[in-house]
Amino acid sequence: MNSVKIKKEEEAVSEYVLELKGITKIFPGVKALNNVQFQLKPGEVHALMGENGAGKSTFIKVITGVHKAEEGEMYLYGEKVDFKGPRDAQAAGIAAVYQHATSYPHLTVAENIFMGHEIVKHHMIQWKEMNREANKLLQQLNSDFDATAEMGTLSVAQQQMVEIAKALSTNAKIIILDEPTASLTKRESEELYRIVDQLREKGVSVIFISHRFEDMYRLASRVTVFRDSQYIGTYDVDKISNADLIKAMVGREINELFPKPKVEIGKEVLRVENFSRAGYYKDVSFNVHAGEIIGLTGLVGAGRTEVVESVCGVTHADSGKVYLDGKEVHIKQPSDAMDLGIILLPEDRQKEGLIMSWGLGRNVTLPTMNKYAKNGFNDEPKEREVSRDLLESVDTKAVDIFQPASSLSGGNQQKVVVAKALGQEMKVVIMDEPTKGVDVGAKAEIYAIMGELAQKGYAIVLISSEMPEILGMADRIIVMCNGRKTGELSREEATQEIILELSMEKSSNAGKGDAK
Amino acid sequence: MENKSLIKKITGSREALLAVILILMIVIVTIINPAFFTPKSISNLVKNNAVTMVMALGMLCVMLVGGIDISITSTLALAGMSIGMLIKYEYISNTFLAFLIAIAIGIACGLVVGLVISRADVPPIIATMGFMYVYRAMAYLVSNGGEWASAAALGTFKDFGTSKFLGLNCVVWVVIVCYVIFFFFMKWTRTGRKIYAVGSNPEAAQVSGINVKNIKLMVYTIMGCLAGLAGALQVAVYASAMPNMQKGGEMDVIAACVIGGVSMSGGRGSVVGALLGALILATIAKALPLIPFFDQLWLNTIKGILILVVVVMNVILQRTADNNALKRREM
Amino acid sequence: MAGKSGRSINNVPENPIKHMLLSWEGILVVLFIAVNIFCVWFSEFYNVSSVLRQMPVYLAEVFLMLTMAFILVLGEIDISVGSIVCLAATISCIVCNAGAPFIIVILTALLVGTVCGAVNGLILTNFPELPPMIVTLATQIIFRGIAEIILGSGGSVSLSNTAGFKAIAGKVGKVPYILFLVLILGVIAAVILGKSTFGRKVYAIGTNRVTAHYSGIHVQKIRFIIYTVMGTISGLCALFIVSSSYGANTTTGEGFEMDAIAMAVFGGISSTGGKGNIAGGIIAAFIIVCLRIGLGQRNVHSQVILLIIGLLLVLAVALPNIVSQIQKAAKVKKS
Repeated sequence: MNSVKIKKEEEAVSEYVLELKGITKIFPGVKALNNVQFQLKPGEVHALMGENGAGKSTFIKVITGVHKAEEGEMYLYGEKVDFKGPRDAQAAGIAAVYQHATSYPHLTVAENIFMGHEIVKHHMIQWKEMNREANKLLQQLNSDFDATAEMGTLSVAQQQMVEIAKALSTNAKIIILDEPTASLTKRESEELYRIVDQLREKGVSVIFISHRFEDMYRLASRVTVFRDSQYIGTYDVDKISNADLIKAMVGREINELFPKPKVEIGKEVLRVENFSRAGYYKDVSFNVHAGEIIGLTGLVGAGRTEVVESVCGVTHADSGKVYLDGKEVHIKQPSDAMDLGIILLPEDRQKEGLIMSWGLGRNVTLPTMNKYAKNGFNDEPKEREVSRDLLESVDTKAVDIFQPASSLSGGNQQKVVVAKALGQEMKVVIMDEPTKGVDVGAKAEIYAIMGELAQKGYAIVLISSEMPEILGMADRIIVMCNGRKTGELSREEATQEIILELSMEKSSNAGKGDAK
Repeated sequence: MENKSLIKKITGSREALLAVILILMIVIVTIINPAFFTPKSISNLVKNNAVTMVMALGMLCVMLVGGIDISITSTLALAGMSIGMLIKYEYISNTFLAFLIAIAIGIACGLVVGLVISRADVPPIIATMGFMYVYRAMAYLVSNGGEWASAAALGTFKDFGTSKFLGLNCVVWVVIVCYVIFFFFMKWTRTGRKIYAVGSNPEAAQVSGINVKNIKLMVYTIMGCLAGLAGALQVAVYASAMPNMQKGGEMDVIAACVIGGVSMSGGRGSVVGALLGALILATIAKALPLIPFFDQLWLNTIKGILILVVVVMNVILQRTADNNALKRREM
Repeated sequence: MAGKSGRSINNVPENPIKHMLLSWEGILVVLFIAVNIFCVWFSEFYNVSSVLRQMPVYLAEVFLMLTMAFILVLGEIDISVGSIVCLAATISCIVCNAGAPFIIVILTALLVGTVCGAVNGLILTNFPELPPMIVTLATQIIFRGIAEIILGSGGSVSLSNTAGFKAIAGKVGKVPYILFLVLILGVIAAVILGKSTFGRKVYAIGTNRVTAHYSGIHVQKIRFIIYTVMGTISGLCALFIVSSSYGANTTTGEGFEMDAIAMAVFGGISSTGGKGNIAGGIIAAFIIVCLRIGLGQRNVHSQVILLIIGLLLVLAVALPNIVSQIQKAAKVKKS
């Protein structure tokens, strides 16, 4: 820890609290960061924006010492630093609140806050004092739970609160918030804004990662944009227009990206009526027609994925009906949905979509091997043939069908997931966040495939949090918020603002009349 | 208000629930047979189960980090047999020294197991299975191929099992001291809490600078240390040492922990829980012959069913709690 | 949709022979030969006929390895099989002593095993949250406990009519029936695990259970089938155990689960799931059997043999990990 010596703020030689230059980070096969830079002024809230996979999270991990950059320099108060690990960053006053809470679910709130710097006297942990201190911090944040509560019993928003309290407990001078509002309701977000304001008043500098423009306008004074692992620029928030910012993030005009073909919309294929599952979604109804793409959108945690997973038999709805071609169907498990032609491309490619250590070919034929098998034995030559054809049909950039799925980039992995679906008899294709973590080039290809599928007369449900994608691809848009359907818009009437409003507005926790 | 929170505490806390069950069991058995609940009888109960109780502490640590150790009774046999033979052939006679040697052997055994698991990434069940064979075989080798160290050969060492200190059996004292030390260690020291942290979320522990590998190495070493101590206790209590001592006893230790609420997947469990789990098992074993119809033959079946009931109940309670939490969620 | 960019993806597999020698199975074959050479050198009694004569006792456990392999590939474990063997052996002995025709005795053993396996399967598939280790630990204690109750205070039963069991312990020439049975079942298990859709699904579940579920594989059904068959095979094992000991007692089958797991893991079937094949398991099983026979002929204590097996097991899993760690470290240094 002695390797990090920080000059006092008063003697600072730089106008920046934190400055990074020429940072390059390489993961096996991927350049996660390519020569990026960043400057943080004292007491400012600085938004870091960019699409999924732009390198924001990796960048944060470089700052906090979790990852070590291959190239580049980092200056803290003008002094060059070299963090050996997360401990060094912590000691230097940098604290991060990660997107996925890094908490200990079995331990109490107080322990979570003080993990690694417990209050100790004579080598004994001082529980009373720790609980008292933790409660003090929690009170500052206006929280409604006690420090002795078990972490695992708290809501996501409350856990986030604990993470922030943890950052405060280390007397951090730089706090990094990684998508803190992603799973918060509107009122909880307001609470968070207030806390960030408080931090700023105390002279803490905040780096704020978010996908939500609202967060940025409300909080940040400057914004830095990353795209495809590269630094694009830093702008003053009040001087850049929404459109320019989107262009900076996406890299091209929106309509270039979405080559949506004109398709004749046919008869209704799938209808979901009054779908409810306690705690996940309530009374959701929608339908899709042949050749139609419907967009299912809303904030993370709104219940979109949960609804389609129940439609496909991965989980079960408590009540509600599903009709396919006008006939009611009962789907008990994923194989039932597949037999009916309802194909789900799950959200998490690595955990739900593919078997990462398996070759591409076996992945592609995983749901369909029974179709090719003879007397229960795999017909491997036939499978190899079929899987190669399918992989080629979606233009997968791969050398052979035996290379493991983990060796492909995110975009090509997604194409393998698509190929896996194409091998089946399809009527309805449900794509859950198909472009998450996919680079721009591959994104366009996936949109093209989506368009082709619609042209062939398949009914398509596209779940996405990315507004441009929904606006660009969907014929009809269904917005969900907090487990309920809050609106249905035609392609013509939909705008970013309306969708955003629908995805926040009817939240049960929404305060009355506290619009911005 | 005060009362309400007390009731809530009892029904909400696993340990309190187990304590209530244990007390109920003791009351019922005492009504049937008053001889059960006398100081002497209780002291004997602890003494006869000292080995399981001591090792349950180590198993608690191992299971807290999501591991398991089935080599412990082999370590016990190796340590116990070694001091048995040393005493028999009069290399040593000092009881204290014998204990130290047993503990040292246990630590060495545990260290090797811990190194294989933490450094060579061998799954705990496989590694400890291998060493279960190895250490048991070493116990046979130490015994010159199956010799016993009988009571007569054990000299003054066996007196440890019968002698008293401040009116209480020495073996019981050892158990008490172990539990007190571990109670403080697990709750009030940073190292103790690190064990919980590693079990609860290893990635987070790594990020916050805890050396996960070293913590794993440490818990298996602690386990070995306690197994060595248990080896010495075994020899003292039963006044004999043989190479197949406590064969299969590791399952009792795991069972005690599971009944005491220690989770197999790590992060959850407490010293008090392990104590109660071990005591419940011991009480059943002791009470069974006192109850009409059941006899000793039923012991294992009942023990197994108890484990099953406990773990299944856990799942059902967890599911209900999750469902209730979901239903409470406003939409 | 033809490939738009005209890119073509290779789908011709490489010649498998090329990798054979470097694979774990290749190493095991070499080890098998080495062990046999060693045994011939070590014991003057070690030859084909003595091995065939002494083999049956050890072969019964190889049955267990065959189904244990499926459970390990699932990423799970079953430590109750030794107790199932005990219970099946006990009940079949009692049925046999009651004068039942031998076919009934055989069916009883298989049925008892199947029921026990199904109990494991039912609990595990209805409560998938439960770790198999704990559930089968409980049933391990229960099944043996029931056998203890049945056996009563004597703790053992011996056959009064050994004719049927003598028959299954018979031979064709010098080769015991059980060796044929092990090889036949071994081939069947290898084909099912390696070539059938069922086997592929088992690997899928063991490698990524969630993806398997999303891909329409009936995860719980497959788990149930495997645990049930594990029970059936334990019943079969019990028959051959009785045929060599003419009775059963409370310790029959003790530790068999560990032996079966050891053979499978030594054979390259990872306990973390998704890896390994039956061929490796069988070669490993025969290495262990030969070692036991060879060392046993010169009166090496069975515990010493267990010590060697234990060390082999730990080394077999630890060495590849250590080698890959060193390789990784070297790579990092290079770059």
